[in-house]
Amino acid sequence: MPELVEIDNYTWQYLNTDRPALQDITLTLKEGSFVGVIGPNGSGKTSLAYSIDGLIPGQYHGIKQGAVKILGREVETYPRGELQRQVGVVFSDPESQFTAMTVEDELVFGMENLGMSIPEIRERLEWVLDLTDLGPLLNKPPYEISGGQKQRVALAAVLAMTPKVTILDEPTSMLDPMSRRRVFDVLARLKSEQKNTIIVIEHSLENLIPLADRMILLSEGQIALDDETEAFFQNIDLLLEKGISPPGAMRFFHELSRAGFYQGGFPLTVEEGYNKIKKLLQGDQA
Amino acid sequence: MNKTLLGYVPNESPIYAIHPFVKLFFLLVVSLFPLFVSAPEWNILLILIIFALMWYSRVNMKTVRIYIPVAISMGTIILLSYTVLGGIHPEYQLLFRIVGVHIYWERVRDAVVVYFRILPMIMTMVFFLTTSRERDLIVAMCSIRAPFVVTYVFAMALRSAGMVLEDFQIVRQAEQARGFDSAGKSLIYKIRKYVMYMIPLFALSLRRSEEFTNALVARGYAFTGEASRVKRANYILTHYHFSTVDIILTAIIGLSFVVLLVLRYGFNYFSLEDSWIMDWLRQILS
Repeated sequence: MPELVEIDNYTWQYLNTDRPALQDITLTLKEGSFVGVIGPNGSGKTSLAYSIDGLIPGQYHGIKQGAVKILGREVETYPRGELQRQVGVVFSDPESQFTAMTVEDELVFGMENLGMSIPEIRERLEWVLDLTDLGPLLNKPPYEISGGQKQRVALAAVLAMTPKVTILDEPTSMLDPMSRRRVFDVLARLKSEQKNTIIVIEHSLENLIPLADRMILLSEGQIALDDETEAFFQNIDLLLEKGISPPGAMRFFHELSRAGFYQGGFPLTVEEGYNKIKKLLQGDQA
Repeated sequence: MNKTLLGYVPNESPIYAIHPFVKLFFLLVVSLFPLFVSAPEWNILLILIIFALMWYSRVNMKTVRIYIPVAISMGTIILLSYTVLGGIHPEYQLLFRIVGVHIYWERVRDAVVVYFRILPMIMTMVFFLTTSRERDLIVAMCSIRAPFVVTYVFAMALRSAGMVLEDFQIVRQAEQARGFDSAGKSLIYKIRKYVMYMIPLFALSLRRSEEFTNALVARGYAFTGEASRVKRANYILTHYHFSTVDIILTAIIGLSFVVLLVLRYGFNYFSLEDSWIMDWLRQILS
């Protein structure tokens, strides 16, 4: 059985640039995994997303080496419309990806393109509306709703196409904390109920860490670190060196560790940090 | 309230019960009526009927007010073009002479006829735009089996127009925030400095185009509508049903046009010879 996503020694360089946007990337993703991709600006995160979705090399000119395969088949060999059944992308600017005049039109647009039948479209529309809570907005123009709602519409439009892999490219970069939370709530439901394979490129680590099974750090077009989430964040020194700012709880324990007050793994969330401190204090009292 | 192409119409408006095709048919057929009607009183009657339809559809009549200056300036331009700039015609009936300019009855008559032909045509368009949403246009075009490529390109054009205007506002605000504002300056200055808006707007449009293309590819879009080698379903059309009322209205509009043609060419109705307005105007001017 071929891997869902298989990237083998892949290098991509845009035309008229000095260095590759992605270099020697080797990566496999299994079905049902939730992967977080982080890295400073210009590290190649979006290029990686576009490579998996076939936008690279389809829509961009450049030099490609190696292979990007979805279910054992190279992305550029898929006929138009076929790859989109396997891979969906949610872009960072929701407004620029709207293709229709009402939220409902937007949600069904992809499904119509894939040639789904009317009953199937109706069924998936109901499912995605329940998932994203967009029912009251169906008749509104997508460019007249709030930023958070726009991003949920963009996400819902891709999810409705039920791709095997959903890639979200900085989906919350333009949102306030509440709207970010709602987008990640949708992803959490998706992870628990649908077992979808989800790749999230994100700077907001607080929301991403509790969901991600695996994290990848990209730096200057290369994979600098790739590990399971807990193990990944034990390399705080490397993350800081690469310009990544880990969440506050992690940094706090890192500082304690450097000062010699703490030994052990760094907590991933504030709750975990709270429990560790509680245990430490209770240990002291005992 | 629902936003239409040219304003807002309440949710309770009876216009929503009408199939979009009927509205488009009304626009296309009724706007032809004035071309076959010379006597202004009939065209004025048509304007009154359109106003009555707008009132019945619960259109916010304030929207129409913005057309008053347009109607006045258009009338002035037509009148000046036909009279002051109409040339010397010894064969015409001279009404009077103002600073060497000959004003002929025939030129005044033609100006009035043209003006009252254009006005109801514009009002028909205004009625359509104030009672229709973008989606109505698309549905109407789909209903007449317009090819997918035509309807979608049309929809994209509507969408792009809104986006360009929005981007223009963003660029303008950004320029103003940095101290550049052409408000209150001379027209020459505005034209000269317009490039300050156009360059970033052009750059933004290029970026938007790239993002929009990526979004279309990511949603499996193809111009033929058969991205996955299967025929594209049109889910939105399932919300619209051509009812008996729609059939009756379409028949009334079509028959009215036939009756108008018969009366015009069979019985010489709507001609200038029978126009009491023109008789009255001629008496006043003579």
